[in-house]
Amino acid sequence: MAAAISSSCCASSLRLIPFKRTLFSSIHYPAKTLILRPLKPSEIPSFRRTIITFQKISTGIVPPPSASSSPSSSGDLQPIEELPPKLQEIVKLFQSVQEPKAKYEQLLFYGKNLKPLDSQFKTRENKVEGCVSQVWVRAFFDEQRNVVYEADSDSLLTKGLAALLVQGLSGRPVPEILRISPDFALLLGLQQSLTPSRSNGFLNMLKLMQKKALHLEVKGVEDSTSESSFVSTPEAKDEASVPEVDSESKPGLVEDLGTEKIDDTDSGSNGVALGSRGMRIRERLEEELNPVELEVEDVSYQHAGHAAVRGSAGDDGETHFNLRIVSDVFQGKSLVKRHRLIYDLLQEELKSGLHALSIVAKTPAEV
Amino acid sequence: MEGVAMKLPSFKSLAPNAISIGHRSFSRVRRSSSLSVYSAAASSATISTDSESVSLGHRVRNDFRILHQEVNGSKLVYLDSAATSQKPAAVLDALQNYYEFYNSNVHRGIHYLSAKATDEFELARKKVARFINASDSREIVFTRNATEAINLVAYSWGLSNLKPGDEVILTVAEHHSCIVPWQIVSQKTGAVLKFVTLNEDEVPDIEKLREMISPKTKLVAVHHVSNVLASSLPIEEIVVWAHNVGAKVLVDACQSVPHMVVDVQKLNADFLVASSHKMCGPTGIGFLYGKSDLLHSMPPFLGGGEMISDVFLDHSTYAEPPSRFEAGTPAIGEAIALGAAVDYLSGIGMPKIHEYEVELGKYLYEKLSSLPDVRIYGPRPSESVHRGSLCSFNVEGLHPTDLATFLDQQHGVAIRSGHHCAQPLHRYLGVNASARASLYFYNTKEDVDSFIAALADTVSFFNSFK
Repeated sequence: MAAAISSSCCASSLRLIPFKRTLFSSIHYPAKTLILRPLKPSEIPSFRRTIITFQKISTGIVPPPSASSSPSSSGDLQPIEELPPKLQEIVKLFQSVQEPKAKYEQLLFYGKNLKPLDSQFKTRENKVEGCVSQVWVRAFFDEQRNVVYEADSDSLLTKGLAALLVQGLSGRPVPEILRISPDFALLLGLQQSLTPSRSNGFLNMLKLMQKKALHLEVKGVEDSTSESSFVSTPEAKDEASVPEVDSESKPGLVEDLGTEKIDDTDSGSNGVALGSRGMRIRERLEEELNPVELEVEDVSYQHAGHAAVRGSAGDDGETHFNLRIVSDVFQGKSLVKRHRLIYDLLQEELKSGLHALSIVAKTPAEV
Repeated sequence: MEGVAMKLPSFKSLAPNAISIGHRSFSRVRRSSSLSVYSAAASSATISTDSESVSLGHRVRNDFRILHQEVNGSKLVYLDSAATSQKPAAVLDALQNYYEFYNSNVHRGIHYLSAKATDEFELARKKVARFINASDSREIVFTRNATEAINLVAYSWGLSNLKPGDEVILTVAEHHSCIVPWQIVSQKTGAVLKFVTLNEDEVPDIEKLREMISPKTKLVAVHHVSNVLASSLPIEEIVVWAHNVGAKVLVDACQSVPHMVVDVQKLNADFLVASSHKMCGPTGIGFLYGKSDLLHSMPPFLGGGEMISDVFLDHSTYAEPPSRFEAGTPAIGEAIALGAAVDYLSGIGMPKIHEYEVELGKYLYEKLSSLPDVRIYGPRPSESVHRGSLCSFNVEGLHPTDLATFLDQQHGVAIRSGHHCAQPLHRYLGVNASARASLYFYNTKEDVDSFIAALADTVSFFNSFK
């Protein structure tokens, strides 16, 4: 199914999800290298380089101004037509049931029919925060790259809520899921029946499901990124989505490209001459990564103010660098693995006063 | 016991004291709509099925307007007093009165209003001191709540008295407020925390506690009455054992001070904490009782105005206790309202309140345990074991949150579900959460009956989905 959404909807839906890549928390990144953060409409194009294509298709439905804003907006709610079809059915069903007790019965009925979650999936990452009872949610792709959910809870009412969401959201593509605003909870009429703490759990459940959908999508993107460059390598063995290939297995390709003259300037693009550390970094990276392109830029002056720099930098004041490396070594490696590779190579520097690196690490095919 | 028939032309015209005839008499009161409640009435508080005698719960009901409402289409049945109690009109009036007529900062001003505010504030302190039989009102430090009071002891006394290897004894049943501050302080000082586990009656094992006390022990910090198990600890004995090795004792009396007579002279504890909001007082105020010489030896907790003597640029000297531990403008109105709460409770009489609650609590326990698949935590009530008037329980196969939600939504019954700020205890009992119904002297037998009926309905509703 074509991932066709309007860019504004995408951006604002993503805003619902405070997604943090905690892996990179200790390293500074310039915004442009980070894929995962709320996208401004102008930045959507960066996704185009990967598998997903976002086309603006006029569907004739104008989203109401507050559709994708905070759930507590008292303005117009997201129109029911924007919800996935099964969810629409569920909402209509609950709306037709007036009596609170009957709503509970309906909820419990859903919960009863929820497929149980295998205990191996009851992990911390799958747990919904802010729930009075325990709730777990698991997400994975089916063959058509629609998201399938499984969930469980030790409380019957919460299980019903989880079942409701699982039924309503499963089998749908990521953008559609991301587009859902929590407003529909009001449409269910359950808000009144449920105490605030439980409602929050409901909202958090939805948020977690959306976050997991996004994660699946991005991971798929990363994997297919390495896939696409992987295709050009003759020595490729397996078609697995996350191949772990190291540089030794593709000597041929490296040689082909490695002879290209590396821009071997002493200075970074901003004119600051590289000091000893800068030179050491450059040498090490050249040696180990055989890069097609290598830029080492000393931006320590930008950080001269902050306390961590003063006195702790190994006397040379070289603490912050921008790196741009294009090398085949990165093929088949996820973003995490590429950066980790570079840090491993620069361990000595990091221990002796190098404070932070901003890294752009690409394979030649990605440039 | 003779019943005495009284002719009461107009109830309102009688002075309160005129009602009491003899020590334990039934006052046959005509239940008319003009029945107003005199809290000083000395008639006995029984839950007799005799419809003509009025139980304590019924008598005080009109003092608590909040109890007369409907929630979700049913009459409110409030069974969460262990979380916070309701306030009688007298307490609300006192608070309103303060702000309306003499609000002014205390201890600072000279003018009329500030003098009056100061007098009332210090009078409230004296009332609290008298309530727990402290020897001097300066042994009462007003804090924000009991949690802050424990933190005060932890940071002020703990940091300057605990050394590496010193031991602090707690129980697994403590409230988080009596665990976490000690964890923080023990990390800073190198002291070690030791926990007393429960015995087969689901009460902290006193024998084990005794054995744990050693010359290394510097502090024993325990609850008086548990907010989950409803059990009480023999504080007097614990204090004797602790003092024998030179250790101090801190008593968390949050669930005891509101419900029974607590006499710090008898207990002889070094520190005792309680919260106002659990004893018919407002939130935002609580107190620490500390023995005079102990408080005098402790450095300040929070720094600021009021707790100082002289302030220079590079150092300051500190005031005497209790001011030393009361930095900044206190919750003046709240303290005064707490004093009013103490008056209200004393007017009824703590022995009376306790007696009533023991009976009502026993009734609750019996009715609850008669339901199938109900597991109540804590000891069984008996001649020697008096439970507090609360029951934490679980129903087999049902999550407490489901119970509490349905009880609230369909029946207007307010109970609590969760871990009741006692996660270690729940872990020890092997459950994630429990439901808890807690009573106070304004609850009645009908409240308990409504709860039990509602619970039965709830259980059958959920069971029909199994």
